[in-house]
Amino acid sequence: MSKPFDILVLIKQVPDQGAKAGINPDGTIDRAKAKRMMNPFDRYALQAALHVKKLTGGTVKALSMGPPPAAEILLEAIEHGADMGYLLSDRRLAASDTLATAYALHKLILHVSPFQMIFCGLQTTDGDTAQVGPQIAERLNLPQISYCEDFSLEGDQVKARRVIEGGYQWVHADLPCLMTVANSYHPLEYKKIRGSQKVQHLVRNENEKSKVIKTVTLDDIEADPILCGLKGSPTIVARTDKVAEIGGSCKTRQGQSVDLMVKDVLETTPVKEFLKL
Amino acid sequence: MSNTDDKKTQQPEPLQERITPSNKEVIIIAEQSDGIIQPVTYELLGAGRDLANKLGGQLSCMVLGESLGAEVQKLVTYGADEVYVADHPELKNYRTLPYRRVIVDFLSTFELPPHIVLLGSTTTGRDLAPRIAAHFETGLTADCTELDIGPYEHTNKADPEKLGLYPGCLYAIRPSFGESLKARILGPWNNPQMATTRPGVMIPLPPDESRQGKIIPIAVNIQQEDFRLKVDEIVREITEGISITDADVLIAGGYGVNGAEGFELLKQLADCFDNASIAASRKVVDAGWIPYKYQVGQTGKTVRPKIYFACGISGAIQHRVGMNKSGTIIAINKDPDAPIFTVADHGIVGDLYQVVPELIKQLKGANVTQEEKTLV
Repeated sequence: MSKPFDILVLIKQVPDQGAKAGINPDGTIDRAKAKRMMNPFDRYALQAALHVKKLTGGTVKALSMGPPPAAEILLEAIEHGADMGYLLSDRRLAASDTLATAYALHKLILHVSPFQMIFCGLQTTDGDTAQVGPQIAERLNLPQISYCEDFSLEGDQVKARRVIEGGYQWVHADLPCLMTVANSYHPLEYKKIRGSQKVQHLVRNENEKSKVIKTVTLDDIEADPILCGLKGSPTIVARTDKVAEIGGSCKTRQGQSVDLMVKDVLETTPVKEFLKL
Repeated sequence: MSNTDDKKTQQPEPLQERITPSNKEVIIIAEQSDGIIQPVTYELLGAGRDLANKLGGQLSCMVLGESLGAEVQKLVTYGADEVYVADHPELKNYRTLPYRRVIVDFLSTFELPPHIVLLGSTTTGRDLAPRIAAHFETGLTADCTELDIGPYEHTNKADPEKLGLYPGCLYAIRPSFGESLKARILGPWNNPQMATTRPGVMIPLPPDESRQGKIIPIAVNIQQEDFRLKVDEIVREITEGISITDADVLIAGGYGVNGAEGFELLKQLADCFDNASIAASRKVVDAGWIPYKYQVGQTGKTVRPKIYFACGISGAIQHRVGMNKSGTIIAINKDPDAPIFTVADHGIVGDLYQVVPELIKQLKGANVTQEEKTLV
């Protein structure tokens, strides 16, 4: 069997768009009020990282960038089996676009290196770009496997199945390698493996917590502030417009007999045009 | 970033016009699969033609592959002024690093950088575009649904070096926050300005066989380190039934179907139609009742069928954004306050286990009547 691996997983705290709190009627997010959660895609990345640890032994380090509350998801990662959490938190990171985010995270990765594998979620639910993973791979000059939905280790290589239009492909890549994990990856249940008592203890005991969750700044990781945040971002959101949801004019049938309601729908919609002849 | 004589001023004074150097060219990175140019490329050429005309520059297309033959000329037919062709056996199938190498090398040969580089927002484009953008340290906007050219005044003093009036910016417009907002994203400080566009959204030009364009072969210098990933096998799934993005009619089920068996009933309804499939909300995919490929919504697929039946789907925003552009939306739900009714055109408040069988019964009846009519 191969030697123990150093495995990294990148996770992000995002607003919970499913929760009612902090979601304005127009669909925008009040980030101060919104419930926060781990980006759902990152759970698959964390599962993949933990799967590798099962195979090779070693450690899983969860890395995140964000304001101090983002430490919550590092704790969540530790509850599920990660060994360490690193939070890159610095005011100078505010308003980072994907390029600036990838720059900062690649410096954090170099700070915690070595590593054989880096796992990222395919994309985040608040940005939806799927760009940061490949941009980090470019910065680190690594091969990447995006849209990964299944994989195994074969010696110094990873063999992986990645989603493509209308199907999938099997690839194999040399390690070290960066992988973004699709939500069609379903190897194991997402469940806590550490007793909540231990986590409660960590939460209460700042000294214990600081041993497993490290908070670092741009200075700690020797990142150039010019390449971070607003200054380091080549794009800006110049304006946003509300999109009126079509609809709002639903013709709803209620309280009549089912056959009448169905008949009415079939008579007032083009459904029958698509029937098999 | 361009060097300028920008001053940090105390008094508001008219913004200085600033132009980031470029050759005004718009370049589309084509996508081919098994040697066939993919539809998103023709869509990009349609959008790119408009941008190039507004900029007063040329529209080019770069294509990578092996022995693409007549497919290359089609890029001219659909609007390209010049086509850059990288022809090499190692480029036959898409792989991140060799493609990245050839594109980065080629774009680096320009004395003035191209103004805009566009790719499709496919599994290929979203894999490749971020690497190219990161290499050139330029801006990239993902999954755009509109593109335009226009001026931009940057007045944010928090970043004084960027102040100025920029003409000819790429407006990369994309939905955000669950598609309830449209964001206009731009980055005129670096060229090329880059974006990927969502497949199926941009409109191709009508093909014009008489269009003239130059075909230009380009150098391919793939390095050993670009072979750190190999493709062993490509599998195109022959899906039983029709892919949910291609179906005219979708019968989508949510938590209200109460279990995997419930989808058998929905399949029966789908079977009434010519080009139909079942589909699902995220909750039921997560519950393991149905495979991921059927999932509609933010973390699944965006669909636009002519008819969308939402059966027992409450309609969280994450689901609605994946289907709210469908032709006719018919919601069936026990709960009259379910959010799905806010995007539906027609609704039936009731138990889907009564409504769907009734639909099947009446549709089969309708079919018989139609057949009888044709016989008469």
